[in-house]
Amino acid sequence: MRDVAVVAFAQSPCQAANRRDDMAGILLPVIREAVDAAGIGRDEIDFVASGSHDFYEGRTFSYIDSLDAVGAWPPISESHVESDAAWALAEAWSWLQLGEGDIALVYGIGRGSLPADLDQVMPAQLDPYFLAPLAPHRDAIAGLQAHAAIGAGLTSEQGMAEVVSRCLASALDNPHAQRSERVDVARLLDAPYVSSPLREHDVAPIGDAAAVVVLAADDAARRLAERPAWLRGVDHRMDTHYPGVRDLTESLSTRRAASRAAEFAGFLPSDVDVAELHTEYSHQEAILAAALGLNGAELNASGGPLAGRPVTATGLIRIGEAARRIFDGRADRALAHATNGQALQQNLVCLLEGEG
Amino acid sequence: MSRRVAVTGIGQGTQAKRREVSIGAMVREAVTEAMADAELSFADIDAVVLSKTPDLFDGVMNPELYLADAMGAVGLPVTRVFTGGSVGGHAAIYGAHLVQAGLAERVLVVAYSKESEGNFTWALSRGLPFSAPLGAGAGGHFAPVIREYIQRSNAPEHIGWQVAVNHRLNATRNPYAHVHRPDITVEEVRDSRMLWDPIRYLESCPSSDGSCAIVVTAEEHAGQTPAWIHGTAWRTETGHFAGRDEVNPQAGRECAADAYRQAGIDSPAAQVDVAELYIPYSWYEPIWLENIGLAEEGSGWKLVDDGRTAFDGDLPVNPSGGVLSGNPTGATGLLRFAEAALQVRGLAGEHQVDGARRAIGHAMGGASQFHALWVVGSDKPGASR
Amino acid sequence: MTEPVTTMPSPFRMDYTYVAGTGRTAFLRGLSERRLIARRCADCGQVYLPPPEFCSRCLTELEAPFELDGRGVISTFCVVNFPFPGQRIDPPYVVAHIQPHGAGTRPMHLVREVKPGQVHIGMEVEPVWVADDDLDTSLLSIRHFRPAPEGGADA
Repeated sequence: MRDVAVVAFAQSPCQAANRRDDMAGILLPVIREAVDAAGIGRDEIDFVASGSHDFYEGRTFSYIDSLDAVGAWPPISESHVESDAAWALAEAWSWLQLGEGDIALVYGIGRGSLPADLDQVMPAQLDPYFLAPLAPHRDAIAGLQAHAAIGAGLTSEQGMAEVVSRCLASALDNPHAQRSERVDVARLLDAPYVSSPLREHDVAPIGDAAAVVVLAADDAARRLAERPAWLRGVDHRMDTHYPGVRDLTESLSTRRAASRAAEFAGFLPSDVDVAELHTEYSHQEAILAAALGLNGAELNASGGPLAGRPVTATGLIRIGEAARRIFDGRADRALAHATNGQALQQNLVCLLEGEG
Repeated sequence: MSRRVAVTGIGQGTQAKRREVSIGAMVREAVTEAMADAELSFADIDAVVLSKTPDLFDGVMNPELYLADAMGAVGLPVTRVFTGGSVGGHAAIYGAHLVQAGLAERVLVVAYSKESEGNFTWALSRGLPFSAPLGAGAGGHFAPVIREYIQRSNAPEHIGWQVAVNHRLNATRNPYAHVHRPDITVEEVRDSRMLWDPIRYLESCPSSDGSCAIVVTAEEHAGQTPAWIHGTAWRTETGHFAGRDEVNPQAGRECAADAYRQAGIDSPAAQVDVAELYIPYSWYEPIWLENIGLAEEGSGWKLVDDGRTAFDGDLPVNPSGGVLSGNPTGATGLLRFAEAALQVRGLAGEHQVDGARRAIGHAMGGASQFHALWVVGSDKPGASR
Repeated sequence: MTEPVTTMPSPFRMDYTYVAGTGRTAFLRGLSERRLIARRCADCGQVYLPPPEFCSRCLTELEAPFELDGRGVISTFCVVNFPFPGQRIDPPYVVAHIQPHGAGTRPMHLVREVKPGQVHIGMEVEPVWVADDDLDTSLLSIRHFRPAPEGGADA
């Protein structure tokens, strides 16, 4: 295996709705910032991978527009995933293992603000014959999961509010956060339900942003970053689709991904100092922490998705935020998690480490 | 890239309007066939790659989620690749990369489309919100490029008709093909309805439902009849920039050149026995022959005219019948890659090209922006010939 | 044996907001004023019509906007000959890539006021704008292109 590291990370501010910029317009300054941070020229990038989704954009082949911000001329080696860009990072990581190049650029563009009503869109993510026609609203299945998690004693409405309160306070230090405030738990618990037992603040606020990660292998990584965030292990796993046939309180795929990532890394999630979790809902923190076996790690110190969730960029931002904490020495080992689908159906785990 | 990689299992579903199966069942057809061909069970698979064209076409968002069970992918890494029409090629190459990189021993690559379940016209009308709704239609993008090719190359008009005949006759040998017209003639193509002048009805691809799956493995698991992967490449260029050449896109040229370099090919037309190319409209046969270096620029049409790309020619193109005979868009690219592998395994049945030992699978997408190509062979790479 | 179920209705309705972006906004505003706005890349010299914010080859911001009169040549075209859903006019009609004089891009538009059989690559064309009341922030502010007198092109 080649040693591959995150050497730069940048993102645009999470906005509830960016009505000024098109896809390329949001992305270009972020690519510039990341590429400048790595101190490289565009012609030094050997591979580009990205993630976005047409159902959020409301049109077909939408990601083609984003390539205008990459400068795919002369032609580039490039791939795209139609899901969270964390999966693009996994593809770039495996591409770098081939040894055909040393530097990869990964970007995610997520615009959750374009659909007029996500309740129209999200049912399409379910089995088209048995589930989608029921048209459950966007938070319905998460509500089932939250209820199950409370029933299993993993969390409580009080515990969920505490997660939200902590994340929103942490987000005060994050200039890219969409939502941040100091708010006490009692006030949160006074809010009405949107999908019982979920209240509005339990639902990660959807919005628009782009994120860019630069990966480099071996000596290139040491050259481009003072303290590279080495990707010691990356893995992702899928659970069965049907919410009714899996135990929603357990994330088997997260457990599997973590165990495989730990085999690569030589250390466990319980050894990390910080963890960035792709919690689309507050109750998922407890499910994920249990599946990962986290032990005392600081969780979502950036505020996490509960402070801003630019759909298909959210998972990649977790990896970037985890790396950032290694860059600046706040952490020696970090974990990043990303998810795809409803009620945590598909999950990705990265274990990162700084040297010296 | 030291590790040798091979295709050891191939499956596909019948291409047609598939009203008798669900999406999951149609995908499962191809997966089951590929697994049986590779003599594997799901427990042997380390990762799954799913290729699919726009989710809006058949109305399922992130279909990798719903299809997890049908693909036998529960508990495995699943990657949903999407790069326009070339996506099937990209997925096959990514599957090969996972094995080459040592991250997997056996990867299942799956592709499908079931556009008959969606509202295709609605989805395509979502295309470009700020362009003028001119009513150009699906072929309205390709037809002007074809006209430009004809102008540049001075090709006679019967070339397009001949390609349409060649591919449809080939399809009569392929039980999975959507279009079967054993009696087709050049006159019939010539007299068929003009759709997007210069494209006639019989020079156009159908819209099909269909699925395809392949198993890619490391050398140790290659079995008795592998198709060895000799070279893989993908290239992308932006579609909008000023001064772009869409008739002979640089990304396509560089993509092919890179794959040939890996495969040790320096004279592609002489060293390749058969090619499965992404040809949705008949004129794209000479266009791609030139673009990927199987013909000199401006003379691709002469290969067609001389009968060299027909089934009994020295460089048969699309012996399966190609895209003109079946076009489940999400699977179309992977089908080209899979058909190339079938040929060098000697398992193409009625459409087997005699003595095919080295083949090209090719896919493209967008406004000819996305290109993917692989070279597969009967011989182990690096082995003496 | 009961008949198999082969179809079931599962209608979706999805509404979206599309964001034009700053570059495209300026261009679309221009169209509503009968102005065709182009911009040049200082690095590669290419002129974009319509202009994005930056050159997708060089990634540098394009220079200040300037106007083109829209006259140009047909670089290639097709004739749409058959009816299908979504058409606004009856076939046959010509859809062309038009290379405006002074621009490196080839926007697509209709070519009318000429028999399709007489259209040819290299034909000189000019835009025909809609009436004042119909002007909008859309390429449909240009009704179509039509053959222009030869020799009247920009120097």
